[in-house]
Amino acid sequence: MTLNEFPLIALATIACWSLGSVLQIPARKSKAFDGISWLFFVSGTMVLVWFLVSYWIALERPPLRTLGETRLWYATLIPVVGFLVEYRWKIKWLKYYCLGLASFFLGINVMYPDVFQKALMPALQSVWFIPHVVVYLVSYVLLAASSVSGWHNVLLNVRGKRSTLSESMSHYLALLGFVLLTFGLVFGALWAKEAWGHYWTWDPKETWAFISWLAYLGYLHLVARKTDPRSLQWYLGLAFIVLLVCWFGVNYLPSAQNSVHTYSG
Amino acid sequence: MQSSNKPVQAGSSFEGFRMPAVFTVSAILAGFAVEWFTSGSGLAVPGWPANFLFLVFLAVVIAIVGLKFRDRPLVSWLGGIPLGLSLIIGLALLSLIGGVVPQDPAKPDSLASMLRLNGMFSSWPFAFVTLLFLFNLGLSFVWKTIPFRVANLQFILFHGGFWIALSCGLLGSSDLQRLIIPLYEGQESSVAYEMPTERPVHIPYSIYLKEFEIDEYVPQFALYDPETDRVIADKSKIVPEVKKGVKADWPGIATVTVLEFLPSAIPDSSGKPVFAPDRKGVSFARVRIIEGEKSSEEWICAGGPEIRPRFVPVGKYFLGMMDGQPKAFRSHVMVKGASGERRTEVLEVNKPIDFHGWKLYQMGYDEKAGKWSSLSLVEAVNDPWLPSVYCGFFMIMAGNLLYFWKGVKKMEEV
Repeated sequence: MTLNEFPLIALATIACWSLGSVLQIPARKSKAFDGISWLFFVSGTMVLVWFLVSYWIALERPPLRTLGETRLWYATLIPVVGFLVEYRWKIKWLKYYCLGLASFFLGINVMYPDVFQKALMPALQSVWFIPHVVVYLVSYVLLAASSVSGWHNVLLNVRGKRSTLSESMSHYLALLGFVLLTFGLVFGALWAKEAWGHYWTWDPKETWAFISWLAYLGYLHLVARKTDPRSLQWYLGLAFIVLLVCWFGVNYLPSAQNSVHTYSG
Repeated sequence: MQSSNKPVQAGSSFEGFRMPAVFTVSAILAGFAVEWFTSGSGLAVPGWPANFLFLVFLAVVIAIVGLKFRDRPLVSWLGGIPLGLSLIIGLALLSLIGGVVPQDPAKPDSLASMLRLNGMFSSWPFAFVTLLFLFNLGLSFVWKTIPFRVANLQFILFHGGFWIALSCGLLGSSDLQRLIIPLYEGQESSVAYEMPTERPVHIPYSIYLKEFEIDEYVPQFALYDPETDRVIADKSKIVPEVKKGVKADWPGIATVTVLEFLPSAIPDSSGKPVFAPDRKGVSFARVRIIEGEKSSEEWICAGGPEIRPRFVPVGKYFLGMMDGQPKAFRSHVMVKGASGERRTEVLEVNKPIDFHGWKLYQMGYDEKAGKWSSLSLVEAVNDPWLPSVYCGFFMIMAGNLLYFWKGVKKMEEV
């Protein structure tokens, strides 16, 4: 399967997710509707998984190189986090934000399609390629969910409807995201040593990865300092902006002209 | 990620974040002042053994201060979370400057140059903040390590690993040697060049390049629009690969089918391509072009150093062929040590080899010559501090795993 079919796939996925969301209204009173609703949610994600697998086969390389390809993974994974949070904490609202974000990313990919390109530059042909990028992607997905949840909690607090359970969820999503962010950073350093001769060169992408890591390290120290969780929701909401710069924005910075990560643009 | 054993006493004048923030900002400003008065000369980390002695000195001072004076409010403050957090933010802000301002040479009298914003990671403000951070991190590490408790293992591994990786990585940077060795096919060399000075250095071994080879992805053909200087996407939005039988359709313009593909050929006296050995020929393809009612068969070619590319006009466009991108490149070499040891090796990207403490990397080639390059660029790296930095990395990862496990256990309690 190629990008030619992608608009249809995106449409089918968003349609499934939308139907699933609409069916949640009657699902409040009927278990049958709840089952059908979840069937649509899962189907939407499965359509994307199917596309990812067949796209991987057609490309003859992991679709993890370009920003468009990482958006595709992101759109596939973030609703899964929403679904798992509902399963774990019985918090229903997170999945709608996640589905909204995923649909937004699918929309960007439809509007700005990638060029179908099999080529994978020699430096990327490494055993580290998949673990490094996948660990980072899952981390970004978790931290995005914690950020979304952070903003939601800020709104709840403004309306005087504070939920400590929801604050715990934001924290644990950030914690898991940080663990994976750390692995991603170290895996990247170990790979860089094998590919480029040194584990750390303050390449702009590396520098921004370090800044993002410090941002979340700061968060965990604020938690250790027993900072008011209500203030921390603001922090989590804003911290994700640093990650977004690292993921997308860095390519547009003046410092990125000589980056070794320009292939991802 | 946990508070220290000796939290700051409530009501102490060192309580809160104001003082740590003032302290961090002062360190940063002092660093910029040094840069300004030295015209942005930056900090040159001393080499072996001075850097090692400094590291040992720092570690001993931290251990003594941490163990002997841990009850003093000032020491508690120096190793406490508020200062640690302020320094983390300080490091992040300085890294932010380094992540936005290009880290390249700038005009000597420019603000970026005078404050060394263009060399942030070897600047005095960065050095001051890092040193203070190492002190803070080191104190918290000492307090959690002595007396030892298994419950503190995650903290010890993560913080200790970070301390080791950061200190050894930065202090060891002066002992890092990265040299470029240009090798030509059929020749031996023991001369390397330091970058960016291009100063020649004699290395204690020599490398003989037997052969350099490049594998390329399959060539692709494209319809070029000279008016817009762009390649027109075909119906499938794929840049079509040149393989026998491949068909590409540009609706309303033409349909092109590859009838024959010769990966390596040269034109004979009549212009018809005939087989040639790998390094002499270029790729040719015979294509059928159908434009409306009109059908024709043509040869197209990407060209090479001695063979001109062949394009075919299709209406107002041109059908051409592009060489595939490099898939892999490798050097077949023989490395000879000073003692006469000889090793035959293949150097490839992502597959460096070790030779007497040096790591040799396939770095590049003459990109203008492409697959006809007889030049191979090899990078030789000697980093005596690497094992200690890796020790730090693995401690961080072990601490991280424990943190994950502890986090999941706590999460289950919610």
